[in-house]
Amino acid sequence: MEGTAMPKFTIKDLDLYYGDFKALNKINMEIPQKQIVAFIGPSGCGKSTFLKTLNRMNDLIEGVRIEGKVLLDNTDIYSDIDVIKLRQRVGMVFQQPNPFPMSIYDNVAYGPRIHGIKKKAQLDEIVERSLKQAAIWDEVKDRLKKNALGMSGGQQQRICIARALAVEPEVILMDEPTSALDPISTLKIEDLAVELKQKYTIVIVTHNMQQASRISDKTAFFLTGDVIEYGETSQIFNNPREKKTEEYITGRFG
Amino acid sequence: MSRKTKDRLTQAAVYGSAGLTVVILVLIIGFIVIRGLPGINLSFLTRSWEDETTYILLDTDLTEDAIQAGTIDELGVTLTEDETGLLVENLDSDSPLKSASNIQGDPFEVKTGDYITRATEEDNGQLRLRVERPGGGIVPMLVTTIYMILLSLLVAAPIGIFSAVYLIEYAKPGKIMTLIHFAIENLAGIPSIIYGLFGCLFFVRVCHFQYSLLAGALTLSIMLLPTIITTTEESLKAIPRTYRESSLGLGATKLQTVTKVVLPNALPGILVAVLLAMGRIVGESAALLLTAGTVASIPTALWGNAASGATLTIKMYTLMKEENDLTTACAIGIVLLVIVIVLNFASKMITKKLMSKKGE
Amino acid sequence: MSRNVKRDILEKVVEAIFLICALVGVVSVAAIIIFVFYQGLHPFFGSDAYSFWDFISGTRWAPSEDVYGVFFMIVASVLATLGAIIIGVPLGVLTAVFIAEIAPKNAVKVIKPAVELLAGIPSVLYGAFGLGVIVPLIREISPEVQGQSLLAVIIVLTIMVLPTIVSLSEAAIKAVPKSYREASLGLGASKMQTIFKVVVPAAKSGILSAAVLGIGRAIGETMAVMMIAGNPTQGLPDSIWSMVRPLTTNIAMEMSYSSGRQQEMLFATGVILFVFIMIVNLTLIRLTHKAGEKDK
Repeated sequence: MEGTAMPKFTIKDLDLYYGDFKALNKINMEIPQKQIVAFIGPSGCGKSTFLKTLNRMNDLIEGVRIEGKVLLDNTDIYSDIDVIKLRQRVGMVFQQPNPFPMSIYDNVAYGPRIHGIKKKAQLDEIVERSLKQAAIWDEVKDRLKKNALGMSGGQQQRICIARALAVEPEVILMDEPTSALDPISTLKIEDLAVELKQKYTIVIVTHNMQQASRISDKTAFFLTGDVIEYGETSQIFNNPREKKTEEYITGRFG
Repeated sequence: MSRKTKDRLTQAAVYGSAGLTVVILVLIIGFIVIRGLPGINLSFLTRSWEDETTYILLDTDLTEDAIQAGTIDELGVTLTEDETGLLVENLDSDSPLKSASNIQGDPFEVKTGDYITRATEEDNGQLRLRVERPGGGIVPMLVTTIYMILLSLLVAAPIGIFSAVYLIEYAKPGKIMTLIHFAIENLAGIPSIIYGLFGCLFFVRVCHFQYSLLAGALTLSIMLLPTIITTTEESLKAIPRTYRESSLGLGATKLQTVTKVVLPNALPGILVAVLLAMGRIVGESAALLLTAGTVASIPTALWGNAASGATLTIKMYTLMKEENDLTTACAIGIVLLVIVIVLNFASKMITKKLMSKKGE
Repeated sequence: MSRNVKRDILEKVVEAIFLICALVGVVSVAAIIIFVFYQGLHPFFGSDAYSFWDFISGTRWAPSEDVYGVFFMIVASVLATLGAIIIGVPLGVLTAVFIAEIAPKNAVKVIKPAVELLAGIPSVLYGAFGLGVIVPLIREISPEVQGQSLLAVIIVLTIMVLPTIVSLSEAAIKAVPKSYREASLGLGASKMQTIFKVVVPAAKSGILSAAVLGIGRAIGETMAVMMIAGNPTQGLPDSIWSMVRPLTTNIAMEMSYSSGRQQEMLFATGVILFVFIMIVNLTLIRLTHKAGEKDK
């Protein structure tokens, strides 16, 4: 029944402008619950920009204007949800691991704390659970009070994932989460993503087509602000309908 | 407390603090301007501080009784009487008073605004006039301040700039460089009263300069070194390595590279350093109080008894502290503010130009 | 060939000149320390020595009676500095937050030059402001008869350390990576939470340097303070309304007409001040170098 359930995100006729420049063009898309959706495309194609419209991180950039609708569980996120609530429900993992210059514990506890959880026991419980979910608990359980910046890049990224999970979001947006990591760390994060889709809806932007084909259920191919093709990952990679998609995944441009 | 309320409170604190900072500045400037403005007028800006009395001798047939209110054609002068004496209200361009000489025989030019307070006939038939020139102006302090700026920069600018050149272009990382940087960082942190103590002991007493321009300027020179060195260093660091390499690659020596390529390119930055230093000299008081003294006349020597002079800032201080004259003090304050704002503006313009040039 | 030799000699001579100039700073620091300490420690040695304990613990300054105690001045300097830092740091950091994080561009265009101008105003002008505005105001509300007081000193010093704290904190806040802000906002933190829970803590070493530099400024300030402190010759301050005599003003007030032991004692006052400044300087140098290493 998973496939027929209500989509998590519904995007209708979305245009996005940076000042006069139109960066996204009439995007229509449904993102299903508890699946991994990958966005691929050459750099500058709009895939990261689109990802950031899903939790309104684009609000931070001056001169960004949006037309169209983004619905989360049928609610318009640009008019009917408080942006802070939205980001609580739609978490984000960034391209560069960006832990705060604090201890591992404080990093993971940051989200729950700002959302009002103060009890030590409860925080301990959340931190442990989140770190376990992010598959890094065993590596850090003895040094929770150590500065997170002292960890390796791959560990930092998993701490950031744990930090996002601690807020108990429904969706996790990942913006090229492995582009700064070595192959082994990359594999760990990929395994983790697959693990997490049991509970969460995951949207991942990647420049790595193998990654998209390995882990995602659905894939969208972006080019110069347009969604050229969106479908089941196996179909996109084995039997693309569009010529441009085929050219891109066979490495003829990009 | 809900998060919204907390956010609103912190936001209010941030806006309040920023607002308070601006309000403080407005209050200070407003106070100085409002209190000082009544004291500002042409004679304040053009006259000497002390009243001056000079006796002049005139070759003329006039008797002493002829010197009275009204127009005296022979002298080409119009006098009016008030409680001080006879005010020189108008002076013809060919008036003999303009080319008079004092009793020592030195030329002395009578000006409008002077008073003639006594006239006596000499035995040899000459007429002796007592001319009083009222003071109340800041010209001596202005001149002393300019002297102080020139003299201090004459010493500090080359030393500071050369130090920076050495540190950036010649020195290799090591003990000497660390030592020099350590010394400069420490100099920057020493308060001016300590500089004053040192200057008072070393330049005033040990070197026997007395309270003088030179003692003050040398003390200030040391004080200015950190400002000049670090600012110049920054501008030297900003010059691309390729400039030096291409100069050296063309067979230029290191010295040629420094004088022909590095220094010309660092010139705007050096200029900013000099302007900053000027700002500090104009504003300095504690160190000068202990080294240059508080005399309100133009120094006529570099050191010794005749070399003491108060800068504008020092005069402002003595007016408040010793003469209880806040109005005149604030009038000087206005002059200081104008100087500081002009210097600030100038160094900003230079930096701005520099930035836009780099942006190209 | 001879031209080359000549040129080499010129190069060496000029380099030597540059080096000598660079050493002027070192020699100056050494000379200042040696002269001030020599003169200032002189009265505590020799046959006619003044007890150092009496000097450092005494609460009365009466040169005519050969009594020189500076403890009440030390207390005055420390209290005034602490007061200025306790008020000035929050005020300055919040202003810096406004400039760096919140203010629209137009507001920055007003407030930044204002802060720069505050930094450039000569201290005598602050003294005039203190004397003409702060002191009369305090006289209105003070239980004492005069407005010259510890409170007046604290207020004026707060204003004077403000530009230092604002501009250094602003630089520190601006240097915090954007990614921290994004991460925090991405977790659903509000802007204010992001600023005060992530950005400001991340900038804390820079802010700490700003505070230490502010301490140095406050404790060394002389002319503005002299006008508004009241400068009594004895007694510990017992409230913020009390008149005080910080170390700096003691030196500036009496130096010009002093001689002999009194003058040496003024240098001794300078030595105490100097020790405070050295602690501040060394802390600052250590702090900034530590921050520099972290950047690498």
